[in-house]
Amino acid sequence: MQLTIERSALLKSLGHIQSVVERRNTIPILSNVKLDARDGALGLNATDMDLEIAESVGSDIAKAGASTAPAHTLYDIVRKLPDGAQVELSLDGEGNHLVLRSGRSRFNLACLPVDEFPAMSAGSYTHSFSVSAADLRGMIDRTRFAISTEETRYYLNGIHLHATTSDGVPVLRAVATDGHRLARVEVPLPDGAAGMPGIIVPRKTVAELRKLIDETGMDVSVSLSDSKIRFAFDDCVMVSKLIDGTFPDYERVIPTDNDKVLEIDAATLGKAVDRVSAISAEKSRAVKMAVEKGQVTLSANSPDAGSAVEEIEASYDASPIEIGFNSRYLLDILGQVEGDAVRLVMADASAPTVIRDVADGSAIYVLMPMRV
Amino acid sequence: MTGTIRPLPETLVNRIAAGEVVERPASAVKELVENAIDAGASRVDVTLSHGGKALIAVVDDGRGMGPDDLALAVERHCTSKLADDADLTDIRTLGFRGEALPSIGSVARLAITSRPPGADQAWRIAVEAGRVGAVEPAAHPPGTRVEVRDLFHATPARLKFLKADRTEQNHAADTIKRLAMAHPEVAFSLSDGTRTLLKAPALTGGLLDDPHAARRERLGAVLGREFATNCVTVDVDREGARLTGHAGLPTFHKATAQDQFLFVNGRPVRDRLLHGAIRGAYQDFLARDRHPVVALYLDLDPAAVDVNVHPAKTEVRFRDAALVRGLIVSGIRHALAGAGHRASTTVAAGLLGRARPEGAEDHPAPRLALGGSWRGPARPSSGALETARAWQAPPAGDTNGPGFAEASARVPDAATPSPEPQPEPDPDPADTPLGRARAQVHTTYILAETTDGLVIVDQHAAHERLVYERMKAALADGGIARQGLLLPEVVELDEAAAARLLTRADELATLGLVIEGFGPGAVVVREVPALLGQVDAAGLVRDLADELAEWGQTLALKDRMADVCGTMACHGSVRAGRRLNEAEMNALLRQMEATPHSGQCNHGRPTYVELRLADIERLFGRR
Repeated sequence: MQLTIERSALLKSLGHIQSVVERRNTIPILSNVKLDARDGALGLNATDMDLEIAESVGSDIAKAGASTAPAHTLYDIVRKLPDGAQVELSLDGEGNHLVLRSGRSRFNLACLPVDEFPAMSAGSYTHSFSVSAADLRGMIDRTRFAISTEETRYYLNGIHLHATTSDGVPVLRAVATDGHRLARVEVPLPDGAAGMPGIIVPRKTVAELRKLIDETGMDVSVSLSDSKIRFAFDDCVMVSKLIDGTFPDYERVIPTDNDKVLEIDAATLGKAVDRVSAISAEKSRAVKMAVEKGQVTLSANSPDAGSAVEEIEASYDASPIEIGFNSRYLLDILGQVEGDAVRLVMADASAPTVIRDVADGSAIYVLMPMRV
Repeated sequence: MTGTIRPLPETLVNRIAAGEVVERPASAVKELVENAIDAGASRVDVTLSHGGKALIAVVDDGRGMGPDDLALAVERHCTSKLADDADLTDIRTLGFRGEALPSIGSVARLAITSRPPGADQAWRIAVEAGRVGAVEPAAHPPGTRVEVRDLFHATPARLKFLKADRTEQNHAADTIKRLAMAHPEVAFSLSDGTRTLLKAPALTGGLLDDPHAARRERLGAVLGREFATNCVTVDVDREGARLTGHAGLPTFHKATAQDQFLFVNGRPVRDRLLHGAIRGAYQDFLARDRHPVVALYLDLDPAAVDVNVHPAKTEVRFRDAALVRGLIVSGIRHALAGAGHRASTTVAAGLLGRARPEGAEDHPAPRLALGGSWRGPARPSSGALETARAWQAPPAGDTNGPGFAEASARVPDAATPSPEPQPEPDPDPADTPLGRARAQVHTTYILAETTDGLVIVDQHAAHERLVYERMKAALADGGIARQGLLLPEVVELDEAAAARLLTRADELATLGLVIEGFGPGAVVVREVPALLGQVDAAGLVRDLADELAEWGQTLALKDRMADVCGTMACHGSVRAGRRLNEAEMNALLRQMEATPHSGQCNHGRPTYVELRLADIERLFGRR
């Protein structure tokens, strides 16, 4: 194997690759990136056995061949090379070392045999469709904050994707919840997605996918079966296992008969919540909302530091209510609202509250109050 | 054809009963010593040979028995301890079943020699493997001597199961220790025929005026002197139950829970309730795998406790177990709070041991000169400072002459280069048991000079504990915020565990965990403490259920919250390596004096050690 490649092209691909590779591995080969030079392109491939990224980048191949090298080290070296440098990769005589030459630098990296590199079983996909990068980005951004980090309920550690109908219109729906709050976003159902199984995309996959979306403006083609999902970009393919579990019946927890409707300026509310909660040093910064006709009074208390109160104008006509929230949860949701106004639909201080962006009906958030 | 069911012969009945009452030599010792105590003895001497397998002799100076009583004493269900129509719910003696002597007599060679104090001669009766001999005249001083020879010779199967002499002897000694702890007014001795293994003189006269002091003295004799100097006095009563006794300081801990004793109406009992309650009381002072040393005496209306649960009477049932548990937890907590920032002297003693210069002569191990006499009994009800002052009072007859005290007061102003333009005047030493900060060493430890010694404070550990205590107080004041669960979590348990949890649901709700029943054998979690963030509710509930079954306590929840508080306290406190100025150091010392439980970190490690001047002098061979 011998090839020459421009530094920035290699860096960009390695950047995608290296974040899949875990920092600490019990299986040595999983620390490595697979390099495969042939037909005028360098193929790079990395996996953690659950998630695999394969990328192809054009380069000047003098001699075809393949090897594996430590991904993080290689990325570090290429990152530190000067901009615009040409990188030459080759194997030494026995094929035990990858030799990297650039300018007057020369690195010898220990290799592992390429046939030890695990291949994610190809398998077949039952459904394929293509979705616009903007739609995919919107679904991820507005749900990922609610993904659970608590490992015992593993089936909540991802975003639930499924096809359904909303008011008679077929939609592709993304849902995430950590048991305290829930986010549900839908986009028009893409062609070919009808009848797809309900799947759960793991958190790490979501994070990597989100990075790749930012670099493409094109549609993303998605293929999936009930155990795997594949996202194909221009010259990059990501394949991930899915969480093998059943997402809870989330429809049940979205209340439909809440009757106390509060409409308020989202940015004003967000800033006020942020300010008021500064008083409490606790991890769970509780903020209390006293809602009455035309006005919301936010307050927070800390036995140590004191108390804070802020009043905001709002549109509200129902009977007065007092309700407490975890301010971090509330801010997470307000952060997703792009329009001016947000609508909170409440029942009482112990029942779930529904929050929506007034200007955007595609997303709905449910937040469980905190009892203070 | 004759019936197949027939009554068993008397001797066999007794042997069967003996299997329950007399399990090993130690249980025979227990029965006999309890008889002696019930007989009003003021001294009890026990002699064991071959761990009690060959001979157990118990001699007392109690009220003795006449010839008629002797003959009856070895019959089954004959006792002087219950009146004819007495109620089994009102038992004020250690024994009452009338089983011990006949049981022992049925499996061993038993001889009883007794003389009531007024009688002019003694009488003797012998029982050999169930065969009762005649009552004969004998010679003996007033009191009773019971000899048990060749225990279990009549039941070879049981004999085979006995352990080595040494093990059996240790069990017997343990039994006598427990009884000795319960009865400081009785003198006890134990010998193996050649050596005295235990000697505890009766504590009478002036000491008895203060029962706590007498008891502490006795506990010191039995559990070791260190316990007597490192304990606080517990004394609480509630609804007719009174709990007294002594609890070890959190910094004085052991690897096992063996040294935890509970006496109910003077009767040593082993009860799981005790261990659970003690864990609760010491909860955030000790690491999970360390155990405090505790001796508690519970006095309550005999009708409120059933001692007739087990033939050996080591288990009891309380009518109101929750009351007893609450009494133990609050009693110990209260006493420990009264101890303020006290850390145990064993810490300093260990330090001294390590500080001995290389090649020093082999002096006897350094010990702190803390007699039980100079320190007044701790008063748990008084404030932390007051107790601390009593503890710090200089020993009478110390070399701390007035001349020295003056010198030590002068030194600081002259010798300490103070960065402050106007050094604040030295506070009254009597108000500052932790003394005045003199220096910070390795930017980690504060050296402070007290009226009669030197205090070394670990600044991070001390400040962490202060922040932690403040956080806990805030939590208790402000109530615990609960986060509702959008997806209530159903936890499958066995039916008994679910029922147990639900009976404590109110208590859990005050801690922020709201659960409801969900059919038999399941509970549903509705709300969790907001402090815990995203918590594994199912795991938490299962831990709580296990703990309730095992200890009758719901510690897992408090433990987890304490963990969170502990981590936050650790991040929010002054780290090692931070330079502190004099004012900051003194402020830390004053806060430690004012804060309860500041003598140890959350895991029972001390936050400071104290070296008395006398100990320092000893290090340099001046004493």
